[in-house]
Amino acid sequence: MLRSPHLALYAAVARLGFRRQFAYLPAAVWGMVTNVFFGALRIAVLLALFGKQPQVAGYTAQDAVTYVALTQVFIASFSLFGWYDFMRTIHRGEVATDLLRPFHLLGYWAAQDAGRAAGQFVVRGAPMLLLFPLVWDMKWPAQPLLTLISVLLAWACGFAFRFLVNCAAFWSADAVGIGRLAWAVLGLGCGFLMPLAFFPEWFRQTLGFTPFPAMLNAMVELWVGLKTGAAAWEAVALQLGWTLALFVLAGVVLARGLKRLEVAGG
Amino acid sequence: MARLWLTRLWSDFRHHVKLYFLLLGAQVRSQGVYRVSFALDAASTALITLAEFAAFALVLPRFGSLSGWTLGEVALLYGLAELSFVVMDLLFGGFDNLGTHIRSGSFSTFLLRPVPLPLQVFGSDFALRRLSRVILAAGILAYGLTHVSFPWSAGSALLLLSSMVGMIAFFGGLFVIGGTVTFWTVENVEAMNVLTYGGRTLISYPMDIYGHLLRKTFTYVLPAAFLSYFPVLHLLGRPLPDGLPGWVAFLSPVMGSLMLAAAFAFWKVGVSRYQGTGN
Repeated sequence: MLRSPHLALYAAVARLGFRRQFAYLPAAVWGMVTNVFFGALRIAVLLALFGKQPQVAGYTAQDAVTYVALTQVFIASFSLFGWYDFMRTIHRGEVATDLLRPFHLLGYWAAQDAGRAAGQFVVRGAPMLLLFPLVWDMKWPAQPLLTLISVLLAWACGFAFRFLVNCAAFWSADAVGIGRLAWAVLGLGCGFLMPLAFFPEWFRQTLGFTPFPAMLNAMVELWVGLKTGAAAWEAVALQLGWTLALFVLAGVVLARGLKRLEVAGG
Repeated sequence: MARLWLTRLWSDFRHHVKLYFLLLGAQVRSQGVYRVSFALDAASTALITLAEFAAFALVLPRFGSLSGWTLGEVALLYGLAELSFVVMDLLFGGFDNLGTHIRSGSFSTFLLRPVPLPLQVFGSDFALRRLSRVILAAGILAYGLTHVSFPWSAGSALLLLSSMVGMIAFFGGLFVIGGTVTFWTVENVEAMNVLTYGGRTLISYPMDIYGHLLRKTFTYVLPAAFLSYFPVLHLLGRPLPDGLPGWVAFLSPVMGSLMLAAAFAFWKVGVSRYQGTGN
C-alpha cells in the first residue's frame, strides 16, 4: 500500500487535504463557537451530576471537565458526527476515475483524511484546547507521548470504521441511512455522549467487545490519567489491534465492493 | 360585507391547507420508494435521540440525582423539549434547508408559482423518517409523566400544551431566521445551530444547573426559561426562581408568538432582497 515511490504522492494528498481546511476560516470560527457552547452545557450537566462527590468511577470533577473539552476539541478531527466523502464518490461514479490514479484507494483516502483531520485540529481543535483552560479547570496529560500515540490511533481506528461504513454505498443506492445508524452507535459506543466509566458494568463489558472505545474513550482515559503505566500501554495496544483489524477488514470489503462495481460496469 | 370577507378568508385557508398537504403527499410518496433504506433512516433518526437520553439515564444512578432532579423529572423536561422540537422540525424543516434551495437555484422557481412563498417553504422538506423521533420523544415524555407526581387537572394539561405550543413557535421562529440569513450568506450559518439545537439542549435539563450568567441570559435576554423550565417547575409545585409569580409559567406561547412574528418580519426583508444566485 505504501511503497516508497508512492509515498511522496500520499504525502501530497495529505497536504492538500490539510490545506483545504483553511479555505473557509469563518466557518471554522463559527464551528468553534458552536463546539464551545455545547461544551459549556455538557460541563454544566456533568458538574451538576457530580454535586459534592469528589470522585465517581475514577473521575474527578476536573477529569469530567477535561473529558468534555477533549470530546469537543476532537469532534471535527475525528468526524464524530459522520463522514460521507467516500460514499459520495461511489454514488456519483467518481470512484472509477479515482481508480485510474496510481494509489491504493484505501491509502489515498487515509492520506486525505489524515490531512483533513490535522487541518481541522489546527483551525478548530487547537484554539479550543487553549480556550477551555481559560474558563474551566482542565488537566494536561501526565504521559504526553503515549497520549499523543493514543490520539493518533483513535483517529486511525475511527477512520477505518468510517471508511468501512462508506463502503456500504457499493451495495446500496442509498447508504446514507446506514451511515446515520452507524454514527449514532459510534456516538454512544466511543464515549462521546458520556464517559464510558460512568456506564453500568454490563454495558461497559458489552462495549469492550467492540472497537468503539478505541476511537475516543481510550484516548480520554489516558489523557486524564485514569490509565497509567502498564494499563496505559495495554489500552494503546488494544487500540492498535482494533485499528489493524479494521484496516484489514476495510481492505477486504473495498476489494469486494470494487469487484461489484466492475460487474455493474461502473 | 364582513361576512363575505370571512368566507373568502376561510376558503383561502382551506385552499392553502389543501396545497400544503398536496406538497407533503408528493414527498411522502417519494420517500416510500426505498422501503429498506427508509426503515434504516427512520431507525437511525430515532436512535440519535435515544442514544443521547439513554446515555444520561444509564449514568444517572451512579450519581443519585441531577442537582435534586430525579430521572422522571428530567425525562419530563427532556421529553417536552424534544417532542416540541421534533414536531417543529417536521413543520419548519424547509426553512432549515433553505440554503440548499438558494444554492441550487430552485428557490427562484418558488417565486414563479402561484402559491404563497412561505407555504412552499413549509412544504418543501417534509422528512417522514422524523416521525420515528416524534414517537420516541412522546415515549420519553410519557415516562416522565408517569414517574413524577402532580395532580392532573385541566390546568396542568393546559400548562403542558401551552409549553409545547410556545416551544414550537419559538424554535420555528429561529428556523425561519436561520433560513432568512441564507439569503445573504447562501451557506447555512453554523452559528444558528447554537441557538436552535443549542437552545433545545439547554432547555432539556433543569436550568438551575447552569451558572448565574447563563441562567439570567436565557431568562431575561433570550426567554428560553419560559418555554419549558418554568412550566415544569410550576407543574411540580416548585417556586419559580427570582421570586417570579406562578402565572409566568403560562407565558410560553406569548414568548413563542413574539419570536415567530419577529422572524417573519425579518423573512419579508430577506425575500425582498433576494436576487437569485446566478444559476
